[in-house]
Amino acid sequence: MDLLRLLQTIDRRFIYALLLLAVSAPFFLSIRIPVPISPQTQALYNAIEALPPNSFVLLGADWSAGSRGENRPQTEALMRHLMKRKLRFALLCFDPQAATLTETMAKRLQSEYGVQEGVNWVNWGYKVDLENFLKALVLNVPQTVSADINGTPVANLPVMQGIQTARDIRMILDVTPSETFKAYIQFVQGTYKIPMGLAPTSVMAPEAFNYLDSGQLIGMINGLQGAIEYEQKVGYVGQATRAGLSSSFAHLLIISLILLGNLAMLLQRRQRARLLEGRR
Amino acid sequence: MFQPVQGYRWYGYIAGALLVSLVVVLILQQTPPRFRKPLIRAITLLGGLFYALEFFLPTHPMPTPEDPQRVGNFLTPYVVPFGNTSVIIAAWTVGLGFINLVQVHSRRLLRGAEGAFNSAVLLISMAVMIVVHILQKVHPNAINKNLHHLLFDGALQSLDATMFSIIAFYIVSAAYRAFRVRSVEATFLLVTAVLVMLGQIMVAQAVTMHLPHNLHVEVIRDWILTKANAPATRAIAFGLGIGGLAVALRIWLGLERGSYFEAQE
Repeated sequence: MDLLRLLQTIDRRFIYALLLLAVSAPFFLSIRIPVPISPQTQALYNAIEALPPNSFVLLGADWSAGSRGENRPQTEALMRHLMKRKLRFALLCFDPQAATLTETMAKRLQSEYGVQEGVNWVNWGYKVDLENFLKALVLNVPQTVSADINGTPVANLPVMQGIQTARDIRMILDVTPSETFKAYIQFVQGTYKIPMGLAPTSVMAPEAFNYLDSGQLIGMINGLQGAIEYEQKVGYVGQATRAGLSSSFAHLLIISLILLGNLAMLLQRRQRARLLEGRR
Repeated sequence: MFQPVQGYRWYGYIAGALLVSLVVVLILQQTPPRFRKPLIRAITLLGGLFYALEFFLPTHPMPTPEDPQRVGNFLTPYVVPFGNTSVIIAAWTVGLGFINLVQVHSRRLLRGAEGAFNSAVLLISMAVMIVVHILQKVHPNAINKNLHHLLFDGALQSLDATMFSIIAFYIVSAAYRAFRVRSVEATFLLVTAVLVMLGQIMVAQAVTMHLPHNLHVEVIRDWILTKANAPATRAIAFGLGIGGLAVALRIWLGLERGSYFEAQE
């Protein structure tokens, strides 16, 4: 078979094997690459740093296991930062899996930072009907949330002291692979101009730049790369940093294959043109 | 309006809610199809009207013990109960979806039709997951917790993550086959995609770190995303917003064709 044609029609099983190798090989390497911090990540970090101690933050987590490659390290980085700064926070999930996933994460991290469930953080659990729930939440938090994931009335929890309306929330953060952040902007952020940060998957990030331009979002953790940057800012080596090299190799493989296929196509075209010219 | 309760009162409330739900479902089932459409139309119109009026009517200071700075109109105090009600209705739809799923797959299983095995797996998985989840909530002993951990973390989450991970293999293969510079537009798309991808990975960022600032891949990526992509998505968002408003108005006013049981008439 012609080599140029072969380079344009590489067997998909060979591509799958290459990808598997590209993703798994970095697990056996221990290379640490410092990354520059993007302005969006820096802005979000600074905004959380500027919050007064004991401020109340609403941490929306609307992801499931399908997007945990990006959303889990983002959530963990934000949670660590909030716990490190001893800020109070509430987890709110509009995805049934997220409630359990974030609960497990918070319970794992709380002993490391000396914080306690019910005192420093609370899991409001899985809620349905995003828009109407948020619209009611703005006016009365304890009545809308009612009880936490364990069934304890939130009004009785020390972490919720002084939290009556959305006006008492100092910052909103949303970790999401979908468009849930738009509902937060429409119904919560917009009402009292509460500062809001976003942690979307890379594929959703381009849609969020408009909201950064308008000032409705104060900062953003853009996908896995943003999570690597945030881990660096918070000062720990987490899942994102470890997976960063695998992601890099996989992207480089895609780029190499695309360029190889195009190069072969262009060379083949040139070859054909020369052949036609020769015949004339 | 909806205060949380615990202990035996919780069980009582659950039983009461189930009973009321059953009665409502039976009444709705018995409603003749010709009345269903106007009924749903009226409820949709009232629901939409409530939020529209609450938003558009003039507001004035309405201090409450919880929120001394509150402003609103005569409808504002009902937003919270209304929101709670709509959350309950949304939770209902999950229940209806569950009933529908059970009906469809039980029928297929009983008939022994094609895919009956898959239906059996679905029904068994669903039943086991529900029972185990309720058990670990009501009696959180070690066995129930471990069983839940095994099924939820071990099986469900792993299957979900695996399914999405497999997409990566198809994306690589498809990108390799489809991304060909056959036209000027395709060339622009390819160059832009490669630059954004490079800007998104740490290896490329480290390689270009020592170049002049404007040649850093992450700077080029940010320029593409903020200066080229953002205006384009903003324009699309405006179009989508206007289209969405038109569709919402049609649904709200009951003008949308093919909705509200029209197929049954």
